[in-house]
Amino acid sequence: MKMKKLIALSLTITLGVFTLAGCGGKTSTDNTGDKSAETKGGASITVVSSYGADDGNRGNFEEAVKAYEANTGNTVKESASNANEEWKASVHADFEVGAEPDVLFFFNGVDSNPLIEANAVVSIEEIRAEYPDYASNMKEDMMGASPVDGKNYSVPVNGFWEAMFCNKTVLEKSGVTIPTDGYTWDQFLADCEKISAAGYTPIAVSFHEVPHYWFEYCVLNNGGLANHLNVPAALDDEAGKAWVNGLSDMKELYDKGYLPDNALSAGDAETFQLMAEDKAAFAVDGSWKCGWFAENADPANFVVTTPPTKELRKSTELIGGISMGYYITRKAWDDESKRDACVEFVKQMTSDEVVSKFSSSGNVTALKNGAIPDPNANELIKTVTEMNGKVTNVIGAVQDTISGEQKTDLFGNVKIVCDGSMTVEEAVTSMLGK
Amino acid sequence: MNSMIYKNKKPLLVFLIPAFTIMLIYLYYPFAMNIYNSFSDIKGLGRAATGLNSPWYSNYIELFSDQKMKIAVLNTLKLMLCTIVFQVGIALVLALLIDNIRIGKNFFRIAYFFPIIISATALGLLFNLIFLYDGGMLNNFLELFTRHEVLIDWKDKSRWMFTMFAPIMWQYIGFYFVVIITGLNNISSELYEAAAIDGASGFKCIRYIKLPLLHNVLCTCLILAITGSLKVFDLPWTMMPTGMPLDQSWLTGTYMYHVTFNASNVDYGSTIAIVIVLLGIVIAQIANIVFKEKDYC
Repeated sequence: MKMKKLIALSLTITLGVFTLAGCGGKTSTDNTGDKSAETKGGASITVVSSYGADDGNRGNFEEAVKAYEANTGNTVKESASNANEEWKASVHADFEVGAEPDVLFFFNGVDSNPLIEANAVVSIEEIRAEYPDYASNMKEDMMGASPVDGKNYSVPVNGFWEAMFCNKTVLEKSGVTIPTDGYTWDQFLADCEKISAAGYTPIAVSFHEVPHYWFEYCVLNNGGLANHLNVPAALDDEAGKAWVNGLSDMKELYDKGYLPDNALSAGDAETFQLMAEDKAAFAVDGSWKCGWFAENADPANFVVTTPPTKELRKSTELIGGISMGYYITRKAWDDESKRDACVEFVKQMTSDEVVSKFSSSGNVTALKNGAIPDPNANELIKTVTEMNGKVTNVIGAVQDTISGEQKTDLFGNVKIVCDGSMTVEEAVTSMLGK
Repeated sequence: MNSMIYKNKKPLLVFLIPAFTIMLIYLYYPFAMNIYNSFSDIKGLGRAATGLNSPWYSNYIELFSDQKMKIAVLNTLKLMLCTIVFQVGIALVLALLIDNIRIGKNFFRIAYFFPIIISATALGLLFNLIFLYDGGMLNNFLELFTRHEVLIDWKDKSRWMFTMFAPIMWQYIGFYFVVIITGLNNISSELYEAAAIDGASGFKCIRYIKLPLLHNVLCTCLILAITGSLKVFDLPWTMMPTGMPLDQSWLTGTYMYHVTFNASNVDYGSTIAIVIVLLGIVIAQIANIVFKEKDYC
């Protein structure tokens, strides 16, 4: 009888321990399967980044981490995911419960505000008090200062640009010349008409999933640089007019039949595939798409150029910027055994060589000396370099200044506007009400 | 010795506590917090509540004017109806057919049960390729018959329901099929022999022996199907994310996920979650009353 009681008690305790084990405050972000981290002798740091499996720079990131480990003898336990809303939420949740990583590669705009307000990350100024050469290879004004206090907290790797990819084969078969500087909206509409008449889809886009690339340029075309980052307070203010006119331009493209037939019911992957299959002529997307062309199509068949423009925007003005960087968390900074390892990690991951490698698709960098040119760049990247050489201004995306709820509402309604079930004014008003 | 254990209830309690603790921590506490969150003002995922909404029940008011929520509830009810008719109905027909064949019974059992073991996300990706607009299997198949290019958008406003519901039906038919065929196997062969002596045909055997004796099994299947349809998420989300097309395909589960994780409106997402739970409780109770099992003892 005693034995049975003992067994019952042991089972209960075991179950209880297993149950509560998951409630521990320590996070395990290790996805490398390396359990020998603690026994190697060097420091072990945890790193969370957005260099997930789909990221074009995942290979470069892994290589740079391995190089850091080899150089320092430290070990990195890293966890990566794609930079979507869920990932942002999980990062914030980790900070809320005290399970933050030691180094974080994260956004430097409004998304980072809670981290700064909670004093959960260390400013570059504070780090430099002890490590004077920290981020000394970066241009101060391009590092992405926090909207909270204007201080720099993160060290950037590379930025992004958004521009128009053109399919040379489709343009040639449609009798359309490749767009160059000063390409106007009217010229663009005329070209779309020719392409459509030749039996091709003029624009590869999913207004169901990714209307924001066109939204940014249509708003910039109608509001100009000075107004671009202003969120409308009312429909009739300057920004409000730009948004209404911009959305009307997007609807015009849909109404004229320049988008894929299933633009309102297909995903981005499905519509963008039209570019690789020589079925569509134009697509507006970001610098990260260069890698996609290299893997899925012949990069030499594509050209990157600035999107069509209206009176208020010069064709050499692009959407782009540097929106992410490496943060050292307060928790790691206060831990003497990890401080050196974290500082060294960020220094190595943001060195001129590493940043240049990450920027091989012509991305913007904050390097004082500029990125080292890639001698093996493909034809597409050469056109990017050519385009970047002519750029006069780069401005951030206005969508980064509105809340997630507003963003979801606005972009979710683009397809409804195109379908005619909602007016452009109603879509903007709905967003303002969120 | 055994009788001693049952007289003394303490050991039983000791074994019940761990399971209850798990339920308390991972089910009841989060549910209670969810109710509280539905009245709170939460600025984003992973952020703590900044206080109560003003008025505290504002999310519940919004619920009644939210067109997407209305669509989600209606679609969920439609899915429930389709589940009853097609999942359980087709499973019953297939089970009755296979019960009458002698060769290949095991083959068909495995073949129909197979979709259950494939993950819903993988099935969603598979059906995405089948229903693909340009170069999809179904459109290519139709081209074989029509001899000209077929470009049907299976996810447009008029076809999305078939495209989304058909794979869900297909996936779970095998489950109910196996349950029903097990019920059929439990019917004594003496009843069939007696019926054969009385001259009952195959159809009469189904009408007067199999269906009445399957009553309880079918009731269980129907209750499982109804409650299961309230929880469908992964396959619709993979095939028709964010209400594709034009906010037509929302289900309560997919809409709650979208509001919480994409729009970061955590408190409103919590409100929708409560509606889902209430809907589940009410519908499960109605199903229990309508499909009450018969006691043959």
